[in-house]
Amino acid sequence: MVDEGISRRRVLAGTAAAGVAAGMTVNASATASASTGVELTVNGEKHVLDVEPRVTLLDALREQIGLTGTKKGCDRGECGACTVLVDGRRIKSCLTLAVMREGAEITTIEGVRHPLQEAFIRHDAFQCGFCTPGQIMSAIGLLAEGEPGSDAQVREQMSGNLCRCGAYPNIVRAIREVSG
Amino acid sequence: MIIGKPLDRVDGPAKVTGAAKYAADQHIPGLTHAVLVTSAIARGKIIRIDTGQAARSPGVLSVITHHNGPRFAYQPPKHPWIYGQTHVPLQNDVIYHSGQIVAVVIADTLERARYAATLIQIDYAVETPEISVEANLDKAFIPERGPFNLRYEYRRGDAHGALATAPVRVSGRYRTSMQHHNPMEPTATTAVWDGDHLTLYETTQALAFTRQKTAEMLGVDQKQVRVVSPYLGGGFGAKGYVWPHTFITAAIARSLGRPVKLVLTRAQSYTMHGHRAETVQELSVGATRDGTITAFVHSAVSQTSMLNEVSWEEMDATTQLYACPNAELTRRVVRLNLGTPTPMRAPLSVGGYALESIMDELSHATGVNPLELRLRNYSTHNPENPSQPWGTGKFLRDCYELGAKLFDWPHRLPRPRSTRRDGGWIGVGMATAFHPTYVSAATVSIRMDADGKALVRSATQDIGTGTYTIVTQTVADALGVPAKSVRFELGDTNFAPSAPSIGSRTAASVGTAAHHAGSALKDKVIAIAVADHRSPLYGIPAAQVTAADGQLFHRLDPRRRETYADVLRRHGPVDSEAVWPAAPGISRSYGAVFAEVTVDDATGEVRVTRLVGAFDIGRVLNAKTARSQAIGGMIWGLGTALTEHTIVDEHLGRILTANLSGYLVPVEADVPDVDIAFVDKADPAASDIGAKGVGELASNGATAAIANAVCHATGRRVRDLPITPDKLL
Amino acid sequence: MKDFQYARATSVTEAVRLARRPGAAFVAGGTELLNLMKDSVQAPDLVVDVNPVPLAEITQHADMVRIGALARMTDVARHPLVRDGFPLVSQALMASASGQVRNMASIGGNLMQRTRCWYFRDAAMPCNTRSPGSGCPAVNGENRWHAVFGGSDSCIKVHPSDLAVALTALDARVLIDGRPPVPIRDFYVLPGATPQVETVLRHGEMITGVEIPRAAGTSRYVKVRDRASFEFALVSVAVLLHTRHGVVQDVRLAFGGVAPKPWRSVDAEDVLRGRRLTDRLLDEAAEVAVRGASARRHNGFKIELLKRTVRAALDGAR
Ligand SMILES: Cc1cc2nc3c(=O)[nH]c(=O)nc-3n(C[C@H](O)[C@H](O)[C@H](O)COP(=O)(O)OP(=O)(O)OC[C@H]3O[C@@H](n4cnc5c(N)ncnc54)[C@H](O)[C@@H]3O)c2cc1C
Repeated sequence: MVDEGISRRRVLAGTAAAGVAAGMTVNASATASASTGVELTVNGEKHVLDVEPRVTLLDALREQIGLTGTKKGCDRGECGACTVLVDGRRIKSCLTLAVMREGAEITTIEGVRHPLQEAFIRHDAFQCGFCTPGQIMSAIGLLAEGEPGSDAQVREQMSGNLCRCGAYPNIVRAIREVSG
Repeated sequence: MIIGKPLDRVDGPAKVTGAAKYAADQHIPGLTHAVLVTSAIARGKIIRIDTGQAARSPGVLSVITHHNGPRFAYQPPKHPWIYGQTHVPLQNDVIYHSGQIVAVVIADTLERARYAATLIQIDYAVETPEISVEANLDKAFIPERGPFNLRYEYRRGDAHGALATAPVRVSGRYRTSMQHHNPMEPTATTAVWDGDHLTLYETTQALAFTRQKTAEMLGVDQKQVRVVSPYLGGGFGAKGYVWPHTFITAAIARSLGRPVKLVLTRAQSYTMHGHRAETVQELSVGATRDGTITAFVHSAVSQTSMLNEVSWEEMDATTQLYACPNAELTRRVVRLNLGTPTPMRAPLSVGGYALESIMDELSHATGVNPLELRLRNYSTHNPENPSQPWGTGKFLRDCYELGAKLFDWPHRLPRPRSTRRDGGWIGVGMATAFHPTYVSAATVSIRMDADGKALVRSATQDIGTGTYTIVTQTVADALGVPAKSVRFELGDTNFAPSAPSIGSRTAASVGTAAHHAGSALKDKVIAIAVADHRSPLYGIPAAQVTAADGQLFHRLDPRRRETYADVLRRHGPVDSEAVWPAAPGISRSYGAVFAEVTVDDATGEVRVTRLVGAFDIGRVLNAKTARSQAIGGMIWGLGTALTEHTIVDEHLGRILTANLSGYLVPVEADVPDVDIAFVDKADPAASDIGAKGVGELASNGATAAIANAVCHATGRRVRDLPITPDKLL
Repeated sequence: MKDFQYARATSVTEAVRLARRPGAAFVAGGTELLNLMKDSVQAPDLVVDVNPVPLAEITQHADMVRIGALARMTDVARHPLVRDGFPLVSQALMASASGQVRNMASIGGNLMQRTRCWYFRDAAMPCNTRSPGSGCPAVNGENRWHAVFGGSDSCIKVHPSDLAVALTALDARVLIDGRPPVPIRDFYVLPGATPQVETVLRHGEMITGVEIPRAAGTSRYVKVRDRASFEFALVSVAVLLHTRHGVVQDVRLAFGGVAPKPWRSVDAEDVLRGRRLTDRLLDEAAEVAVRGASARRHNGFKIELLKRTVRAALDGAR
């Protein structure tokens, strides 16, 4: 199935300028080597997927690759549960297409081992746990952006991740402990 | 003793690594995806529904409308209880509210189902919907009590008479908004049939409800239905009852002969499983000049749907919290073209907000410090039944004391609108928290194997409240083994049946059953040991043997000992099971909440700068998880006070904020550090382990404390929630 | 979301060639386009991914700074040329959306984001911007969020971009491939009878960047909202104030959340210019700033709120 997808796309790559059927991925700057199968690198592993262009990175991770640690809370970028790292930066995977992230290094909760995880447990920085992968990925991204210097900065910078159980103060403590 | 200790959550590692599998995370071969189409209008009829294009769209397996919808074996009654609502969609052409299910598309991928759903064309005959509570007040009526026995009317003494003659009278008209639970995990159902047996991977706070009602609707035996929910991404009431999307998905999977997964979109979650109804409340209090309350008169109107009659917004705090000889409570509803309301953490909180606001107004009117005013009207007996002392069921005085100390509550409050800092007005406020908590039958089974490890099972839920952890602790203590020797599995109807996780009952009910099951197992193993001549404990009277740290030993001669594992290696596995309670029970939890706010002088933006809560929740089972739940509850109160509001278009009847950017749940930046104290005194009347509920309790109090603080800061009393900047200009 | 073609462009020429096709749309960060597609507000046949186009640079020129259309909000906000030269822009960006969205979203996409009007975003309701002629339920409906300036009976949406407000105060110019720079004040179009026309950009035209001319003074971006963060403005005010010895040399005032486009208040600026900045003058300027505002049923508070916010912003900048 996967192979078929690639070859179908290869055939079409050269005809990018002409009208091609919906569902096709075409590389407009079609060079001879243009491969158009959707190839994602997730947690260091390559996955070749047969997905339509309309498939979001989030749905590709969850439904195609089976990495369900990344959660869908709103599918509109409004809750942060789907936060992953792309090339080390935190983003919302529901607002990007899988095909747009070819060639990037994608990191999901399944691919991290970070002191924040222990700190989240120690400070009880979650209850139901549904927003937690997104919180942790967001916090890892935040730490990479530069150490947040105060509780207030953590609060502001973590405001893209909703937590309905209300673990907010504990999340701040967990992050502050790790950020030093 | 491990109980009470701040043990880290035992489900923590699964949750911080992404390993925890929630309802929508199951991998099932041959899975198909269902997407709902919902009505664009709020009232009328479908006159034509064209599914042709959708049915021909790539990947589509089935399109279902009222023409070919599943027919069910049962009709839910007009009083919602276990069934969230009466209305069963897809049975006819009538539209009762916007966002009602009118079609379902099933396809091989989510994207294809989603797109095909947009291709269905519907013509409606539109009628003018009724949307406004205020505009329909004259049609308000008192509903029947229904099987849940909700109380709509209450009277003692002569409230109106006492109010008329009271030296001090204060009245207020309070409005609270329609609100939505918005757990972070969207509601999901995955239905998998194997022959005539159904497995449902379901987002549910009540496995047993889902099993029972799905079976009833589908006309199958309960034994044919298995419900699985090991992790739940929050519920707060939205996942408490059984709603149509669940049995519709199960029915479709049966007729399609394929597993079907349905995940509600965030927008759909606003019309598929209830909401907290808007309320309009009129509350008057009469008192002597020194603040002794003589009368409460409280009347409220809230919204119900066209087919159900119910109001979950109970207001018993008015009649049960303070000593007051005369009280009257009346609750009415109006029918609107909106969905059926459902309980939302916490049903008493909007009535409690009005009560604790009028207490603040009374404090202003009498000049009695708000804290002193509450102490002055403290009830030691149930005001509804003066022969019933609260006894060990109420340590509210301790809450006031602990909270006031933590907060440094002033004996003399500065005048309203008199304290400024950095361009903002500062104010403080306080309120009492009050909520009933329940217990109902829970079963816990334990098997201990030859390795001395206990496998504990119960068909209960951990909705984020810490069930996994506190049951582990309770069983470990009852057995006298370390927590790591106990493994608790929940969330599967294959396990022994248990109570629903609604009404703050899980910890006390399941915890107590776990305690009894653990004790019973320990007794069994001791009995085996003392009867076994190979045991160092042979011949000792059982009552003189006890256990700690995995070892059984003679109380008087602790050198005579062996491990659980030693006994079981000889004897084989031992099982126990306990059910508790025999009959449902109710008790009450209390608290005192203190808040400090800053209100921007120019813009009216309110920021909560300090929040303190002191709670009497009986015995604290886990200091860490209980604290978290208390903090979380107070943040709920903050959201109700300041940000949350479902807005509905009055003409079209559509919810305009059906997302997480228009409906504002508090974000990290809204929340200050929160200080919590617990009285931590056991209430043996509530449960054998002395525990009672915390989740709902803690979401009471903060709303009024914040609103009172805003009034103190600005000198303005806003009686209409949420307190957004426009209301303070 | 309907199935569509996806094409990646590596140059402006290629991007524009592809995007000229009927039904084509650019995607940059995707944080707006994907939402609109999911909500059936937009349904392009071809999505042209412009991310490979080298347009992410932020560069200094004689009298201005140029920001490439594909620079991300985070990177722009933190860039020394912007942070030090145009703190107003940094403030407005950092007050927008969330860390994750800012890491994804581009400057071009930001300027092209569409209104958050709840009637516009729900395809089940009428909306003249989304489907011309269907009507505007906001005019007589829930219009707490809606415009007090620049609306018409066809549409009273507000423009949601914080960045655009700051850029309007700074007299920035929008760079469009194949055209002379367009002053941002002329870039957005008021709804009138054709609310579906929102900018001067024509189908297939690509924004390549913005230019911000250097301007002296202290600045302040004040954003008032219903929650502390991750929320659009009820009202926002961008002020750039240049005083010497207490006398206003130059001032720029632009408002967000109050009009279908970032709203520049030239009248209030005129009141301030050349005068000594007293409390009385602040009051006067704030009063003039809201002149001509007109309220509907639920948004009258915005007028008072704007007045106070203008005053507070000026006060904070002085
Ligand atoms: C939850 C949430 C909260 C938000 N809060 C705020 C806020 O508080 N303040 C605020 O200002 N914004 C806010 N935003 C909006 C956000 O800033 C925009 O979504 C973002 O800036 C869009 O940029 P993008 O690159 O992702 O655009 P895209 O989604 O890629 O594109 C948006 C539009 O611009 C067009 N486009 C993109 N690039 C170009 C180009 N170079 N030339 C011509 N057309 C182009 C696209 O075709 C599309 O129509 C929020 C967004 C979300 C999801």
